Amino acid sequence: MVYHQRMIEALPLCWLAAVSLSAVRAEPAPLPPPSAHPVDFIQDVQPILASTCLSCHGPEKQRADYRLDVKSTALTGGADHAPNIIPGNSAESPLIQFVASLDPDQRMPPKKDPLSPAQIGILRRWIDDGASWPEEASAAVPDKTDWWSLRPLVKSTAPAMPEGGRNAVDAFIAATLKTKNLSLSSEADARTLCRRLYFDLTGLPPSPEEVEQFVRRCQSETGPDAAWQELVDTLLASPRYGERWARHWLDIVHFGETHGFDKDQPRPHAWPYRDYVIRSFNADKPYSRFVQEQIAGDILFPGTLDGITALGFIAAGPWDLIGHAEVGEEKIDGKIARHLDRDDMVANTLNTFSAMTVHCAQCHDHKFDPISAEDYYSLQSVFAAVDRADRPYDDDDATAARRTNLQARQQDWQSRVHALTELARDRGREALTSLDARIAALDQPPPSRTQGWHSNLDAVQNTTKWVQIDLGTSTDLKQIVLHPCHDNYNQIGDGFGFPPRFKVEISDDANFENGVTVVTDQSTQDFANPGIKPVVFDTHGRARHVRLTATTLASRRDAFIFALAEVHVLDGTGKNLAAGAPVSALDSIEAPGAWSRSYLTDQWYPGSSASPDNPALPDRAALAEERRRLIDQLLGAQDASALANAETSLQEVSDELKSLPPTRLVYAGTIHHGSGPFTGTGPNGGKPRPITVLSRGDVRRPGKPAQPGAVSGITALPARFNLSPEAPEGERRAALARWITDPRHPLTWRTIVNRVWHYHFGRGLVDTPNDFGRMGGLPTHPELLDWLATTFRDDMNGSLKELHRLIVTSATYRQKSDTVSDHAEQIDSSNTLLWRQNRRKLEAEAVRDSVLAVAGKLDLTMGGPSFQDFVVTHPEHSPHYEYHLADPENPALHRRAVYRFLVRSQQQPWMAALDCADPSMLVEKRNQTITPLQALAQLNNQLMISMARHFASRVASAGPDLDTQVTAAFLIAMQRKPHPHELAPLSEYAAIHGMENTCRLIINLNEFTFVD
Amino acid sequence: MNHSPFHQGRHRHPLTRREFLWNSGGGLGGIALASLLGHDHALAVSPTPHTQTLHHPPRAKRVVQLFMAGAASHLDLFDFKPALIKHHGQPSDFGEHVEAFQNGLGPWLRPVWNFSPYGQSGKMLSEVVSALAPVVDDIAWIHNMVGKTGIHSQGTLLQSTGFNRPAFPSMGSWVSYGLGSMNENLPTFVVLPDHRGLASNGTKNWDAAFLPAQHQGTVIYPGRETPITDLFPDRRGDFINPASERDGSAVLAQLNAAHAAERSGDARLDARIRSYELAARMQMAAPDALNITKESPKTLEMYGIRNDVTTWPTEINAAEEIDAFGRKCLAARRLLERGVRFVQIWSGNDNGHPRRNWDSHEDVQRDHGPLAQGFAHGAAALIQDLKQRGLLDDTIILWTTEFGRMPSGQGGTGRDHNPYCFTNWMCGGGIKGGVTAGESDQWGYKPLVRSAPTEVYDVHATILHLLGIDHTQLSVRNNGIDRRLTDVHGHVIEKLLA
Repeated sequence: MVYHQRMIEALPLCWLAAVSLSAVRAEPAPLPPPSAHPVDFIQDVQPILASTCLSCHGPEKQRADYRLDVKSTALTGGADHAPNIIPGNSAESPLIQFVASLDPDQRMPPKKDPLSPAQIGILRRWIDDGASWPEEASAAVPDKTDWWSLRPLVKSTAPAMPEGGRNAVDAFIAATLKTKNLSLSSEADARTLCRRLYFDLTGLPPSPEEVEQFVRRCQSETGPDAAWQELVDTLLASPRYGERWARHWLDIVHFGETHGFDKDQPRPHAWPYRDYVIRSFNADKPYSRFVQEQIAGDILFPGTLDGITALGFIAAGPWDLIGHAEVGEEKIDGKIARHLDRDDMVANTLNTFSAMTVHCAQCHDHKFDPISAEDYYSLQSVFAAVDRADRPYDDDDATAARRTNLQARQQDWQSRVHALTELARDRGREALTSLDARIAALDQPPPSRTQGWHSNLDAVQNTTKWVQIDLGTSTDLKQIVLHPCHDNYNQIGDGFGFPPRFKVEISDDANFENGVTVVTDQSTQDFANPGIKPVVFDTHGRARHVRLTATTLASRRDAFIFALAEVHVLDGTGKNLAAGAPVSALDSIEAPGAWSRSYLTDQWYPGSSASPDNPALPDRAALAEERRRLIDQLLGAQDASALANAETSLQEVSDELKSLPPTRLVYAGTIHHGSGPFTGTGPNGGKPRPITVLSRGDVRRPGKPAQPGAVSGITALPARFNLSPEAPEGERRAALARWITDPRHPLTWRTIVNRVWHYHFGRGLVDTPNDFGRMGGLPTHPELLDWLATTFRDDMNGSLKELHRLIVTSATYRQKSDTVSDHAEQIDSSNTLLWRQNRRKLEAEAVRDSVLAVAGKLDLTMGGPSFQDFVVTHPEHSPHYEYHLADPENPALHRRAVYRFLVRSQQQPWMAALDCADPSMLVEKRNQTITPLQALAQLNNQLMISMARHFASRVASAGPDLDTQVTAAFLIAMQRKPHPHELAPLSEYAAIHGMENTCRLIINLNEFTFVD
Repeated sequence: MNHSPFHQGRHRHPLTRREFLWNSGGGLGGIALASLLGHDHALAVSPTPHTQTLHHPPRAKRVVQLFMAGAASHLDLFDFKPALIKHHGQPSDFGEHVEAFQNGLGPWLRPVWNFSPYGQSGKMLSEVVSALAPVVDDIAWIHNMVGKTGIHSQGTLLQSTGFNRPAFPSMGSWVSYGLGSMNENLPTFVVLPDHRGLASNGTKNWDAAFLPAQHQGTVIYPGRETPITDLFPDRRGDFINPASERDGSAVLAQLNAAHAAERSGDARLDARIRSYELAARMQMAAPDALNITKESPKTLEMYGIRNDVTTWPTEINAAEEIDAFGRKCLAARRLLERGVRFVQIWSGNDNGHPRRNWDSHEDVQRDHGPLAQGFAHGAAALIQDLKQRGLLDDTIILWTTEFGRMPSGQGGTGRDHNPYCFTNWMCGGGIKGGVTAGESDQWGYKPLVRSAPTEVYDVHATILHLLGIDHTQLSVRNNGIDRRLTDVHGHVIEKLLA
């Protein structure tokens, strides 16, 4: 392999690594002789290194992680061909071969004049003499662990309480302000505080009555402090709190409900994770448990609803469908797709919980932080067994616990049955094994596990759709059997697509215009959904064609359809004349492998092996009986009875398991049992894929195996988990979860309190919430950060609600935001020291929710599948998400924005214009922009127009005159009455252009979008 | 998170007011903009760029990116391979193991169309793109492009953003961020998607990612009633009329001004007031920019626009493709001459059936034929039109696609993905026409010099260079890394420079 200059230029970071040693050895350069005179390292060698090597392999840059100013690295490093220097053997030392190479594309230093023979001679002599390097002539390697965020958490003591201070937060903030000769601003008025707290804790505006009530309480005997405490408690106890703060969390973990990439297919079962997050915030779950559940809930909290749904965290990010489902793991592109997939899981985990940018260590050791490439791949190996896929869960803890228990008992009885059966086998191997083989052959499912026939989607339920079978010749028919489908779409399951109203007809006329016999007419009243039980109709008559017509379609929640798995048409002998017969239909979805017209007669349908016309069944029963007798004979009476007992118990347990409510699905990190290119590790028993350190992050350059572990720069904790190679994969995730939540972890606790602070003040104490490393920001108040982190960890037991309470009851939080001070502006114009509260621009979700709320249309229904504020066209391949077709009057769209279905390839344009989080990115904090497109969105979007109209009709009842109506609208929107200078122009405008226009204007005012 | 692209040093924590305004204004122009803000003229979109802040004198101000979604075959359009004609039908032998996306490694397949030399440069072009003949000498060719994988989504992102995974800003967003706007009444970066729908990754191909939202590509559908989302009130708003809009803006401005006056020193409040003024101006400017009714019949004919046809056949056909692509090219010219900086034009949508993009696994002739005639006609018209208006001197045209196609056949008439080699071409401001910077091997399977391919980083570096930007210096810190359009790679392709 020849490496040209161009290649080297393209890969500047990893120059040395790119040149393999074999290439060097293949064309050995005639080396200049070693210097005849003894050389001195400091006087002779070091100047050569300094002038020719250090610009790329020194303090500034360490290409290929190699540097020639640090003795230990110089003598031991050298990427693939380390060590670069072999003391006593200069001819074999790669360093010499590089500098002496005749090939300009290989020679060091690149693009510069080569070293002279004399210089090379000096280097050779130095190496031949043993490469002695005085310690004092070696640069020190900077200690990457010497960094504020990696130091142990120590509880600091709060400074003295300032005048007007309310809690320790104020003591820290005021102390820092004092050093700049600044002080806290006074407290904002009651209405401002009330509005601020509602948006902060619930993301919704208070109603005018709620504000009035709070203002009254403030003026009552108990006073403003008690009123504030009471309001804080009320809002923290509101379910709206969980919805508000879950949305922040979903930003961070880049939760989305489509895969992204090519085809951008939806994930209909992603929402249970969103509900898990809301539930967890509302329940004020201890933070360490919240973290542990999301990484390894299935292992650490088995048999719980939250333990499974939390794993949606692992699968939250984008997924390359084509790279997994169309390209196998054996191909390079397949390896790249899976590498990128694990990278996303690792980055999501460490960014979210520990504010570490470990993904920077994918190609080489982290340049700034103590994270080695080996650490990075150790983290990848934690997730090496899991994929993103649907995973079953139980909707309540009781069922989940019962299922876990029953499954364990089932396994026990299975082992017992197995052991006794094997005992019998030992005694009569041939006979039993041959019987088993015959039974197994009967149990083979039909080769194609297809779904059936599926009509196109229709928006209207009372649409007529038909499908028909051509039997080839006109024949006497006796019975027509409809086999319904099973499809978990929208958790419908059994009876999917079975129409509530339909009729069955037969005729010799393919167009069903002449000579039509009606077999059954179920079109006058609803037919109960049969599940997957066959629906049988007797018939008498001769015909060639059988037509099934739905007059009322089945709902799949977002559209209406007609689907059937199989139709049997039996003659007098019980023969199925429809088997393999051609099928035609009004319309049809053709999705190879799942849905097609031909699948209606392909003999595959739910429960097909047990169906009455399957001749295999009696044979199987006879064989089973024969097997039973054989085993009894082989075992003898006592063991045979034990086996019978075990089998009965197993049957009981299995029946009980079957009687449990059906499981639901969550899109989560899971062992995937797939087929084709996307097999997952399931068929391999969930054994983790082998992970190696990849040179330059290149899947074609695997290095040494990586062991499950975490970051070695966190010196307080062991960096490798030292699990047995046989340990189940879940142990790896459990170990990582414990590592992250260890009380000694310096980053976890700082990270979360900083995030909470960020959402309360619009800026974190560290302004890079996902990066506490050297490329991130420094804390503005390090002592406060550490005090909060330790207090949260130790005194509050990880209660986020306690943390909120502490922060929002501080005088710092309750300051005015409109304080004017030239002095303060000069010293701290960006208010990093918090001499006033920050005015906040509402996020997209809060604006949307507020608009719905003031219009009186907000639907506060919690949980469940997301609402879709788009219409899907072309669902069969790459769905087109058409937002402009959504009907703003559809009540389903009036729920809170946290329940919006989050598409990756096409974000909601209105939400995107208002800077909503991109579910493809880890959003530590939102961009905040102000653009003309944002103005157009807020003015002209269908939802805004529609809500302006509803807002106007809501206030129409306030009174007959426009002043009253305008006042009411203003009061609802801003929680204050308009001033005369506001009321006059609005009323005048309303008189000319009406209240609808006026309400549209009010929801576009700056005051509506900003919170003081 | 967002800092001056010229600040390479330590992170500065506080978001100063100036930084904030940088974020909301953006652009190198933001430096000068921020200094203007001493007078509290908070702007939502930056004004005319200030070229004195560029790294070096620019050769161009505007960019048009023509993107062929689905992977266009270099072998059947631009990269003539006589060896494929000579060995047509013989078993393909690449001399090494080849991984192909659908294992489409059938016999060598000759170019589907004949090639002939054109222009003074004698460049061999396929007859299906012969519409490019009048401009062939303006074009510089790169026949040794390489990608990373043969997966559409990754390849498309790589060419549009420089990374093969989502969440990175597109080239148009970087250019918008780096240079700012030349006309605040129009978006800086405009996208004209295929009229049938979006290519793989959807809007991620023009995403601003971690750059401020105004640098995201604004989608324009020229023929639609509302060419830009929410440009005009939704039709349900029948209570809205020009008078209510006019009076409403005045009341809004008045009340917002009073609100801001009580809250001095918050530039965002003023910026939002201004954003409504700009929105109103965009409502005037955008329809005007897209109104082609005043274009001469000669111009319409040059772009292949057929106002006489009201319904097209259901089958894909050349005349319709020419009309559709021509309309986008004409809209692009009108936007460019009004100061839009970056226009991205798409040919082909997602990978549905029947094929309406370039992913010709089954039949190159059937899909490539109409699409190629469509883009070639429109592109040639655009280049000539820009030239006659003197705009080609400072407008760069880039033709690209996610990867190429295999010299071996798939199923006899189709071709599988070839991420190992494909073609890009450029022309316009600062580009030397008629040159070829990088050849492919005799089959068009890999670069002729395998160790010296051209990568997307080099193309992006070259375009930024021509715009006056050093690609290594335009960076924004995100999640611990100073991110660039060109990652840690990229070299200006000197051979292409005029």
